[in-house]
Amino acid sequence: MSLPTHHPTSETFRANALAALADDTLRGALQRATGTLSERRKAAIAELPEWDALRARARAVKAEVLSRLDHYLEEFVARAQEAGATVHWARDGARACAIVAEIAAGLGRPTIVKSKSMTTEEIHLNEHLERGGLEPVETDLGEWIIQLAGEMPSHITAPAIHKTRGQIARLFVEKIGSEPTDDVQELTLAARKALRRHFAAADLGISGVNFAVAETGSILILENEGNIRLTTSLPRVHVAVMGIEKVIPRFSDLELFLRLLPRSGTGQHLSGYQSILTGPPPAGGEGPAEMHIVLLDNGRSAMLREEVTRQSLACIRCGACLNFCPVYQQIGGHAYGSVYPGPIGAVITPQLNGLEKTAQLPFASSLCGACRDVCPVEIDIPRLLLHLRALVSEGRDLPGFDGTVPRKRGEALAFRLWAWAMTSPRRYRAAAALARLGTKLGLSRLAPPVAAWRAARELRPFASRSFRDQWRELER
Amino acid sequence: MSERDAVLAAVRRNLAGVEPPEPGVAPEVRIPGTATPTERLARFRAQLASVGGRVEVARDARVAAALLRDIVAEKGARTVAVSDAALARELAAGLDGVDGVAVACDAERAFLLEADLGLSCAQWGIAETGTLVLESERERNRLVSLVPPVHVAVLQAGAILATLGDALAAVRRPEHGAPSRAVTFITGPSRTGDIELTLVVGVHGPKELVVIVIDPEESER
Repeated sequence: MSLPTHHPTSETFRANALAALADDTLRGALQRATGTLSERRKAAIAELPEWDALRARARAVKAEVLSRLDHYLEEFVARAQEAGATVHWARDGARACAIVAEIAAGLGRPTIVKSKSMTTEEIHLNEHLERGGLEPVETDLGEWIIQLAGEMPSHITAPAIHKTRGQIARLFVEKIGSEPTDDVQELTLAARKALRRHFAAADLGISGVNFAVAETGSILILENEGNIRLTTSLPRVHVAVMGIEKVIPRFSDLELFLRLLPRSGTGQHLSGYQSILTGPPPAGGEGPAEMHIVLLDNGRSAMLREEVTRQSLACIRCGACLNFCPVYQQIGGHAYGSVYPGPIGAVITPQLNGLEKTAQLPFASSLCGACRDVCPVEIDIPRLLLHLRALVSEGRDLPGFDGTVPRKRGEALAFRLWAWAMTSPRRYRAAAALARLGTKLGLSRLAPPVAAWRAARELRPFASRSFRDQWRELER
Repeated sequence: MSERDAVLAAVRRNLAGVEPPEPGVAPEVRIPGTATPTERLARFRAQLASVGGRVEVARDARVAAALLRDIVAEKGARTVAVSDAALARELAAGLDGVDGVAVACDAERAFLLEADLGLSCAQWGIAETGTLVLESERERNRLVSLVPPVHVAVLQAGAILATLGDALAAVRRPEHGAPSRAVTFITGPSRTGDIELTLVVGVHGPKELVVIVIDPEESER
């Protein structure tokens, strides 16, 4: 597999978004995909009158576990070790990659199959393994397509959502020498055949984790394709990489999250397969002889400090906020320049990487609140966006980062002037008189910062006489 | 400082002064399930059909073996991989002497990878979603239910539970509460929508799923 080529970065979000808006093929694909996924979700939750009670419960369970995360992590690790799993800890992505590389090195030059995992995308595990001369093969159909294309996923649950069947057909002809076809069934079966060869030879399987149960040391992974089941049962060694926030307290809590996640993500009652794995099988049993679990911090512990940021860790990666976001619907995932796109990406990416290179992301929203309304764990994404915007306007980075945050100087200056004018009656009267004069002269069309601000907004004209003036007249 | 200590210390430092939320803010939500065995079977069948699976009902193992023969013939399967469960072996024995069909119980991986049809039991069913539940400690079922293009599962009608919650409770072993090393939930055939959200079955796992439900009261229903 070739290393990924050029990717847009978060730093150039505005330019990325403009380029995406000019791409009609992309926008057509996005509109069909997000429209279908959001309709399916609506239909699935309409059948479940308990939906809002379930969301409230999930939010409460996540709040409970995050408020005592050290305790639940230790419980999870103790139970998983008792079941025979080997647990590794990594404070950042580089260390997590090194752990996986070391396990791989212990197997010689293993054939590696991988199932879809946002966490391994986050730490760029594939690139790390490829630099070491290994060739991890993504086995989720969508992930495999974008790996062949050398791209990044553009959606949390449907990574190749931005590609048309024609583009995929051409890619398959070029990369795996398959016959040209526009038939989705044939394309999928060509992928099955190619990937089966990798599975049959695989020594190491790498997966993510959806939920980790503290009470029993179990991990649960959901999917539809069966590639996760193959990845976690055919190779001799299985490595599961998970963020520390994936822990839930009780085995019975799985019911709650299994009702919320598939309905939110794909509109299914239940995804096709759930694998609940509690340690490796006993000697002679079916499945890998070794099971490793890598627990990754990578900036998560810092999100625990404040209540507003802590809720970001409740995310169960369903992708519903992407499908319902009017911004994502128009520009897709790549513009965000991060493995986590859309509204949740706009709040998580800065927290993982600092605001220096991501300061535009919190502004990639109209604050309409659709993301909050559809979130199965009730994350208040608009509040998080405002929190991050406030930091940017003050030129401050998040705790744990010390980047030079590119302030929005014009806006900051305008608000300082506004505050100065509003805090004295005399200055207020003078400013209001100035504004009325501005309206009369049509100055708002001339001044460049105001004109830029006005490009997408209506500026209401100031009344020709103020309320104070009218009141004074009435009193007379 | 070890990585473990470093991560836990960072978690504790950032949680200093954070109180757990009041318990009982949002109580557990109980979702009611179907009440009677007849309703559960009907619901299981309808839900499985809605995701492209099929249910056949047999009143005993002899009828189930005949159904299996029919399915093998219908699919044109030449090689059948069977789990190590007694009931699966009993049904597979009915394939003995069928011309041109090779059967292997608890087969080697090479046979499994080439098999046309896999036969296993399912320890539980979930009516609410049409789901099969497989426990690794009761049967070697992981690969036989996954690798071949057709999966036939045998399920006792009495093992069809009402809800997801009932199934999660059922897979915990009474002695210590832990589940089997591998518990697999299966709802329909392997599927993907990764190309233009177009549904295609059989992407990695079985393209077809047939569940033979053994229901002693079948003739009365």
